[in-house]
Amino acid sequence: MKRRRHTYKQIIWTAIILAALAVLLVWTIVPIYIVVSNSFRKTLEIKQMPPKLFFEPIFSHYQKLLSFDRFEVYFRNSTIISIGSTALTVFLGSLAAYGLKICKSKLGRRISNVLLLGKMVPAITILMPLFVMMNRANLTGTYLAPIITLSCMSLPFVTWLMTGFIADIPNELIEAAGMEGCSRVSIFTRIIMPLLKPALASAIILVVKSSWNELLFSLQLTNLNTYPLTVGIARYVGSVSVDWGKCSAAATITMVPIIIIGFFMQKYLVSGMTAGAVKG
Amino acid sequence: MKQKTFEWSLERGDLLPLLLLLPTLLVIILIIVLPLFYGLFLSFFNIRLGGKSSVDSFVGLSNYLQFFRDPTALKATVNTVLFSFGAIASDFFLGTLIALGLLKLKSLTSWIVRTVVMMPLLISPVVVGLIWRYIYDPKGILYWFLGKFGIGTAQFPGVTAASTSLLSTIIAHTWAVTPFVVIVLTAGLLSIPEEYYEASKIDGAGPFRTFFQITLPQLTNVYIVILLVSGVDTIKVFDIIYALTGGGPNNSSISLSMYAYSQAYDQSNLSYSIAVSMITMLLTFCIFGIPFIKHNLAKGNR
Repeated sequence: MKRRRHTYKQIIWTAIILAALAVLLVWTIVPIYIVVSNSFRKTLEIKQMPPKLFFEPIFSHYQKLLSFDRFEVYFRNSTIISIGSTALTVFLGSLAAYGLKICKSKLGRRISNVLLLGKMVPAITILMPLFVMMNRANLTGTYLAPIITLSCMSLPFVTWLMTGFIADIPNELIEAAGMEGCSRVSIFTRIIMPLLKPALASAIILVVKSSWNELLFSLQLTNLNTYPLTVGIARYVGSVSVDWGKCSAAATITMVPIIIIGFFMQKYLVSGMTAGAVKG
Repeated sequence: MKQKTFEWSLERGDLLPLLLLLPTLLVIILIIVLPLFYGLFLSFFNIRLGGKSSVDSFVGLSNYLQFFRDPTALKATVNTVLFSFGAIASDFFLGTLIALGLLKLKSLTSWIVRTVVMMPLLISPVVVGLIWRYIYDPKGILYWFLGKFGIGTAQFPGVTAASTSLLSTIIAHTWAVTPFVVIVLTAGLLSIPEEYYEASKIDGAGPFRTFFQITLPQLTNVYIVILLVSGVDTIKVFDIIYALTGGGPNNSSISLSMYAYSQAYDQSNLSYSIAVSMITMLLTFCIFGIPFIKHNLAKGNR
């Protein structure tokens, strides 16, 4: 009797979990699916409820984006800005982390924590003065302005992340290399960097993600020639009546590449995000 | 003796650590520290964007005093705090439920679900706002679905009414950020030693007691880190609201970041907008900075 009650309970629990799982998947996928599928639907079909599961895909929204709204330029700009700021951040961040490692270890950890305070500064607080400064320096509208700004926004976190990963490298290894007569620079390039490959991958995917997706700084620090995709989309949002076909296509162009990259670098994305939390 | 030789310390004249740190510090000083002080300086004047900036328009603290007399600014402050608390509460609640559920699954299923669930995390907040703007369209898919249960715009007006517009933005934000909480919590849950659960099983504790007495206390540190890494972002919210409601209707969902932005770029009140953004920073620091410092001090002492 008791055992049977147990199985009933188990069946009910399994059913609840399966149902919750279904809800979770629907909740996650449906919004993405709608937008991607709408980008291939005729404008009239987008308004049609319920949406047809099978429809004849069209590409006119994408053609409009490319021929009238210069989205191929935005795409190129997003790529340049993301790659530039990621390269800069990861390079500077790992140098700084090694610098913190070879000065007194306790002080190093402290400094990387102080740097993390940079995360407390809202983008909006530095946007306006920075905008004035960049204007004075004639840098608005160049790639340098968004690259160095976005890089700086990620730098505190990346330095902190790399400091954590470097701290994990056993001291004996570094000491042994030092005994062999390795200089501190060659210890960095020949021992630490190869060991840091997974950490670098984590930093890269995190910075690529945040640079590719950034809006606020890009809105003001870029011009028609250097607009990234997010600004291209933001310009549609302001209008009273939104052209959903075009918007969906723009949203798809913006989110699909980063979702694909995230999928292939999932392992590193997860380890980068959890590094701080689990190690403490 | 041997160890002493290789304990590199900051000896006098040892420039390498400084040299390695210098570029990072330089960039941070140039892009964060300098603009902060320049902004603080500008906020004491009455400078308009695009106009001739004159140094003789010194107004002292009056931009800051004006903030407390400005009903829209106060509304934005309340909205920002409500958004922050609402978003964090729902992210944590849903994230914990999902992470606990995922643990019950077989590893392959759990991997597939996690991969799918992670997608919103990668999407730009401005695109998230756009997606949800489509979903909330009164003739759109959400109301088609809700209509089957007899719920229309009259019962849940969504982004079209002041009463629910902020809630709507919180829902969109939850959709996008909960995956982060799920992933970090999953890692946290897996790091809890199995013996703890076995011990609680032997004690005859039910699932709820186990959760509150074993799981939750073990995860405190993880929750704090999530709060400091993603919670901070909620108080700076801009993109999602910008794309979803534009702050409306009637400023009912405007955030401090958005208000500062519109003061600068729509009204050209550069100095006032900087004052608003400085108060935003102060608020961020009061809510998250102090716990952050306490957390680090506690860790440093350990």
